[in-house]
Amino acid sequence: MILLEVENRILSEVLSSRASETEEIAPVDMTVADFDGTMYHVSNPEGDATKVLVSISVPFFHQLQQFDVDSFMKGIYGDMVTSPESGYDFSLLVDISKLGANPEVTISNVARLRRNCFAAVFTKFFQMQKDGKMDSIVLNYKEKETMFINAMKDRVTVIFSTLFTDKDDIVIGKVFMKAFQDVRGRNPSAPQVLFGHAKDVPRELEGTSALTGDNVGYVTFVLFPRHISDDKMDHTIDLIHTFRDYLHYHIKCSKAYLHQRMRARTSSLLKVLNRARPDAEKEKKTATGRTFVRK
Amino acid sequence: MASKMPACVIDVGTGYTKMGFAGNSEPSYIFPSAIGVKENVGRGMAQGVDDLDFYIGDEAMNTPGYATKYPVRHGIVEDWDLMEKFYEQAIFKYLRAEPEDHYFLLTEPPLNPPENREYLAEIMFESFNVPGMYIAVQAVLALAASWTSKKAERTLTGCVIDSGDGVTHVIPVAEGYVIGSCIKHIPIAGRDITYFVQQLLREREVGIPPEQSLEVAKRIKERYTYVCPDIVKEFEKYDKQPDKYFKQYTGHNRVTKKPFSVDVGYERFLGPEIFFHPEFANPDFKTSISETVDTVVQQSPIDVRRGLYKNVVLSGGSTMFKDFRRRLERDVQKRVDLRLKRSEELSGGKLKPQPIEVKVVSHAMQRYAVWFGGSMLAATPEFYKVCHTKADYEEYGPSICRHNPVFGTMS
Repeated sequence: MILLEVENRILSEVLSSRASETEEIAPVDMTVADFDGTMYHVSNPEGDATKVLVSISVPFFHQLQQFDVDSFMKGIYGDMVTSPESGYDFSLLVDISKLGANPEVTISNVARLRRNCFAAVFTKFFQMQKDGKMDSIVLNYKEKETMFINAMKDRVTVIFSTLFTDKDDIVIGKVFMKAFQDVRGRNPSAPQVLFGHAKDVPRELEGTSALTGDNVGYVTFVLFPRHISDDKMDHTIDLIHTFRDYLHYHIKCSKAYLHQRMRARTSSLLKVLNRARPDAEKEKKTATGRTFVRK
Repeated sequence: MASKMPACVIDVGTGYTKMGFAGNSEPSYIFPSAIGVKENVGRGMAQGVDDLDFYIGDEAMNTPGYATKYPVRHGIVEDWDLMEKFYEQAIFKYLRAEPEDHYFLLTEPPLNPPENREYLAEIMFESFNVPGMYIAVQAVLALAASWTSKKAERTLTGCVIDSGDGVTHVIPVAEGYVIGSCIKHIPIAGRDITYFVQQLLREREVGIPPEQSLEVAKRIKERYTYVCPDIVKEFEKYDKQPDKYFKQYTGHNRVTKKPFSVDVGYERFLGPEIFFHPEFANPDFKTSISETVDTVVQQSPIDVRRGLYKNVVLSGGSTMFKDFRRRLERDVQKRVDLRLKRSEELSGGKLKPQPIEVKVVSHAMQRYAVWFGGSMLAATPEFYKVCHTKADYEEYGPSICRHNPVFGTMS
């Protein structure tokens, strides 16, 4: 797996297993987490197992209000939207017996709930850029971490400020991002990516509430109109909203790979060590053939 | 952060991995502990992103072109390279959890070598940067899960009968310590019952498509079987009132799509009976489960025996048969009473031993008892206190995992 999946697997499995159930549908009540402090609560509010309430809580939902998130979600989910459950930000009531003409699409849409929360922001900013308006926002998409989105005349800049809990991660992240930049050289249509950490705070972040500090890395994406054209926009959002976790996932995979190499090396060295036996004492002789064996 | 996000509970067993978030009553995923890797990719010399090219769980079994491997054997992890990759996908693809934000509760089988615990800690802290984790013994979690039953006391002393698909273990636990030397294995478990039912059906029924016969047997086992108090009487009951006891199972032939029906008769009670009379299915093994439980308790230290008899806890799917609890309780009680009676006789009536109470506890969470116990414990605030934290790890190293903080302070 190279790219992280956009859908939440637990949600889609819970719903599709119930949709394909021919016998009685089992009731459900569970709390599930997703990346970046997202929480879902899946339950049957009225004790009716065919009606599943899916509620989501994301740390930045209050920031979405200014982007008219409700009508954006209505556009995607239609009648499924209901008033949010207490403690959560947004709720959908899914009727298993009425999933519409294309149940798979409906289910996958529900499983993309988190993605669509991000999409509400990105769509807005991409639209602003197209209309030639300029604006910026610092999105607290995760506790302690921020994302800076800036729509400009000719581009949209997205800057992630991500926190590294481990010093080694910064180094691996740097190498990884270097590889990112190198690949871009071969693939000129890819968006420009810049990586900096600690002292190289991107200029754009000055004067904003974006996270800065010593163990913070900054990843800047510069999206040009060709990346956010109507047909490419969805894909861009899919990729960019998982980017922070994508980066951390690959740092972890790199470490796992290094560990694998270390284990392989240790076991091969151990083999050498086990093979090595001290040579048996050889009888030493002088040129004349005498030995020094004590009698 | 950590207090807000639920802990991840991952129970990697020999056959199946159960994982999900703490606080839920059922695991979110139950899939084979298998990993599918490309055969030609050598160890430690992968090119580019070859090391990410693998699948776990059901996908590992169903994707062609990948060799399916099982990193866990007899409950103990044998291949840590594969296990690390397994966790990689388990966490990022299935649970979708950023490991830096969640505490982890992982399980280990009884008699797990302490080195393995250290390896696990290394992987969790070094690769995944988890803020804290706890390694729990499966049998202890099963005991904790039994606290949901009204009858059970909240004690960590008890005898756990863990019966899954492959093998059954009887594990005595005294105040949270597993008494390793007294663990016994029984080579009778879910799969053997299925095979036995299949064999009975094969001798009698003709309508079952051969390629579906195992599946039909499994369905019948899950749906109709129960444990009877006495086989002879049960046979009589069936012969007197066949219409009351004989059931019909209807299935669909997968190829011709035509329905077929199977009469379900004596196998309803004969299937689970092989726990108590293993010689029905396996001529080489004659020790019944009640005898094994009794021996295990008798081998344990004398001061915990009463506690073990009083709290026999069931865990695993193959202990879910109706009335299994009652039968086991009765059989073990019979043996215990007989022994007490004999000792009274031998003493010439001078010694009057105190009667021993045998209690078998069954509860609604039996199937995923280990996972459920973990989920329950990891949802309590105390869990965060007993976890090994990253700070500890960095201060002392992986050896912190040799010690269990539940049993007192680090010295």
